[in-house]
Amino acid sequence: MMANAEELELKDRLNLIENMIAEGRRTTESWGWTFVLWGLAYYVAIAWGTFGHSNLAWPVTMIATGVLTGILSSRSARHRPETTIGRAMLAIWLGMGISIFALMLSLGASGRLDVHVSAAIVGAMLGTANCTSSIILKWKMQFACAVVWWAAGIAACFTSDNVTAVLFLAAIFFCQIVFGIYGMICESRKRSQGVSHA
Amino acid sequence: MPELPELNPVIHGKLRLALLSLLSGVEEAEFTWLRAKTGSTDGNLGAQLAKLEEAGYVAVEKQFVQRKPQTLYRMTEAGRGALTEYVQALKQLLGGAIGS
Repeated sequence: MMANAEELELKDRLNLIENMIAEGRRTTESWGWTFVLWGLAYYVAIAWGTFGHSNLAWPVTMIATGVLTGILSSRSARHRPETTIGRAMLAIWLGMGISIFALMLSLGASGRLDVHVSAAIVGAMLGTANCTSSIILKWKMQFACAVVWWAAGIAACFTSDNVTAVLFLAAIFFCQIVFGIYGMICESRKRSQGVSHA
Repeated sequence: MPELPELNPVIHGKLRLALLSLLSGVEEAEFTWLRAKTGSTDGNLGAQLAKLEEAGYVAVEKQFVQRKPQTLYRMTEAGRGALTEYVQALKQLLGGAIGS
């Protein structure tokens, strides 16, 4: 039979392994701010495009926000370990961003850009990206955002210009600004849970 | 009576075990991140990581990011296998004591 002290030491080793694996996997990435930033960027682009009547509003705002996101996230990611989940998230959102940007730019250049078509495309793509992220992260709240985006995209196919715009502004508010702030609060809580030491 | 397994002495060290466990949850990690997570000193951490590297359990990559040196550690397949075997051996040794 194993001596009590030895048994305790072995149990201690097993706990150490569990704690360290959990610590390593604990999501240290913080993405809540990107939702808020992009939500504000959408509002700026909508306001600039509507009141400034400028064709440059969307491309300029999106490129500037993309560059800003890249700079800020590369600064905050320094010293953090690379995780498979982190790379999966980057792949989803980068792919979606490039797809939306390329499609909208092409539709605009060809003169076929229509508020209903663009709202439906953006709603469907943001719904897909949020849905995929929510499944990977097991985050029900983000899946709710996916549903809201899909609903806004589908509604854009049937409603008037004004209703489409209002629905879209509301979707941006709830799925970008409110969800982003909620994400930041969750991330802050996770960080304050403390660090295990060996 | 079945023979009880021996614990791998390279992994059994507390800090080395913590390092391998941490690295098993990430793709690669910087020296500074490992230091922060384990609360170890630079000298001790470097020495233990060198032992793990010598055993072939971790791979090291040195690079420069914005002109600053960065040392990245990654768990190898051998390291993953060794940690799995160690956990199995631990569980076997503890037997019914786990969870009590």
